[in-house]
Amino acid sequence: MTAGSAAPERDLTTDGAATERDMTASDDGQADSFELDRAAFEAAGRRRRTSDRVRRIGAYATLSLFVVISVGPALYLISPAFRDSVSLFAYPPEWIPRRPTLENYRFLFRNTEYIRWGVNTAVYATGVTLVSLVTNSLAAYAFARLRFPGRKVLFFLILSTLMIPVAAVLAPTYLTVRTIGGWPLIGDWIDLDTYGGLILPSAVSPLGVFMMKQFIETLPGGLYEAAKLDGASEWRIFRKIVLPLLKPALVVLGIFVFMITWASYLWPLVAATGDDYRVLTVGIQSLNGQFVTNWGVMGAAALLTIVPVTIVFLFFQKWFVQASMAGALKQ
Amino acid sequence: MEGSVAAGAAEEWAELTLSPRQYRQRARRYRARTSRRAIGFLAPYTAIWAVFLAFPVGWGVWLSFNTGGILGTRQFVGFENWTRAWGDTEIRTAVRNTAVYMVIAIAVVFGLAIFLASLLNKHRRGSNFFKLALYFPLLAPPILGAMMWFFMVHFDFGVLNLILRQFGGAGINYLGENPNALLTIVAVEVWRGLGFWVLFYLAGIQAVPEELLAAGRIDGAKAWRRFARITVPTLRPLLLFALVVAIIFNAQLFDSVQVLTEGGPALGTATVVWFIFKRMFAFQDTGLAFATSVGLLLVILAATLLSFWALAKRQAREA
Repeated sequence: MTAGSAAPERDLTTDGAATERDMTASDDGQADSFELDRAAFEAAGRRRRTSDRVRRIGAYATLSLFVVISVGPALYLISPAFRDSVSLFAYPPEWIPRRPTLENYRFLFRNTEYIRWGVNTAVYATGVTLVSLVTNSLAAYAFARLRFPGRKVLFFLILSTLMIPVAAVLAPTYLTVRTIGGWPLIGDWIDLDTYGGLILPSAVSPLGVFMMKQFIETLPGGLYEAAKLDGASEWRIFRKIVLPLLKPALVVLGIFVFMITWASYLWPLVAATGDDYRVLTVGIQSLNGQFVTNWGVMGAAALLTIVPVTIVFLFFQKWFVQASMAGALKQ
Repeated sequence: MEGSVAAGAAEEWAELTLSPRQYRQRARRYRARTSRRAIGFLAPYTAIWAVFLAFPVGWGVWLSFNTGGILGTRQFVGFENWTRAWGDTEIRTAVRNTAVYMVIAIAVVFGLAIFLASLLNKHRRGSNFFKLALYFPLLAPPILGAMMWFFMVHFDFGVLNLILRQFGGAGINYLGENPNALLTIVAVEVWRGLGFWVLFYLAGIQAVPEELLAAGRIDGAKAWRRFARITVPTLRPLLLFALVVAIIFNAQLFDSVQVLTEGGPALGTATVVWFIFKRMFAFQDTGLAFATSVGLLLVILAATLLSFWALAKRQAREA
């Protein structure tokens, strides 16, 4: 605060934030000695500019190094994916495939259930996303706009399970699904090795309820009151007024849920025992370490799985980043 | 004239006023009506939540006091599973590994993320590209991310050893020795999480009021001092929250262990979740699996409460 009064004066005499810092360091608040030190001041400015340049180069070199580390492993996959596994052990190392081959992909499509796994992943991730979006937005509307007894208690109970990870309830959830699977009728839909048993336990996270509730509460109440006075039912208000306004939040939540779900491993691993309902992550990992690992095939499968996601990511990058932040920051 | 108007108004008023009993009756009817409506909105989510999350949590606690495997008849045995879990050397190893892993991974990833975020904050040109590239590892499922690292750290054909050998080195056994294996897992997880935490801290750093930094500059504080004395303190509420989130995420370490080491060598990378998984599905020792699950649950619950507290503090500060 004490230096604040001198600041505007200095801003007039300097031409940028970079030199301003230098001045304040060399000068002890005697504004009238400026003119005399002009030469020294300009020299200091030059020094500063070179050290700034060095610092900038250092910063970008550091950032580039981390970019290489981030992207490098995925890019390198291209090499083993198009070579036979024997060449991996060749010396000197064969960085670029000398005789590129599609043998790994042929194996992947002929000898494994890769396509089936892909379809299962699509059904699984889409299912969890749809179930989450529908149930979460409905529940959020009730918590945000309706008054009913036990509202606060129920919300707190649900919210307190926000952080419970799959891993901590893996075993009892497995037994629950297994038990339901033994019941008549409903057991045909919800069981181990069914889409229902795969999807529903993955759609329990209250994150969406919480996010949507916050969002609905920020919507202008006037619209809602007006619709109510016109005699619209809650369901009609939800569908015609709230849902259209929720669209951006639904997109963010949808991407978030989809990303989490298609990448998940633990629940699909225990919920699907055979190839019929196995998803990509579990399927590809099953190629790893049965007797002798066919490294080339594993690399090919990983590469093939990541490429489409990367393309989608590059198109919708903003949404993706926003979605992943939403998970942590909006809580 | 005037009198009759007043009388009319009074009549209308009387219609609008309710006796206490009528009021209670109508309020009750209104509440019943809104509750009925609320049930329709709440039922789908609450049903799924109750059956597949709330119930398993409760059942898991109950089953931690039982034996019987996945299919056998269950028998109540009191605290036997718990005392067995407490004395189990494998669990102790798993807990210690997870703790060591968490401390190193969180310290490294937070340090790097804050450093890179402050670089990105200062050097804006091309920062979008850098953010995207750093974020990239999060796109791949953890399983596939770990597989990519197989081609980096494999003893025979891993890129790192190929490079080392080209310079005459012998190559490092990244996965087959302790403590290398756990450190490799740390590196893979730091690689995955870094982009997220950079974006997280970048958002936090950009929220640091520019005037504060300018004031620091005017007072002659050097860049490092401004960072330590202005940026970090304003980040502190965020830091606590981030720490809790990171603990909850990292306590679940499983996928990359399963891919890269399967808990080995000699349990050197056995983690808590890996232990639960093995006990439950390979050995069908449900007692130990459930007791450990509940233990993990308690730790995560404590961390959650801590995060609520941190958030409340943050909101109180903002208000």
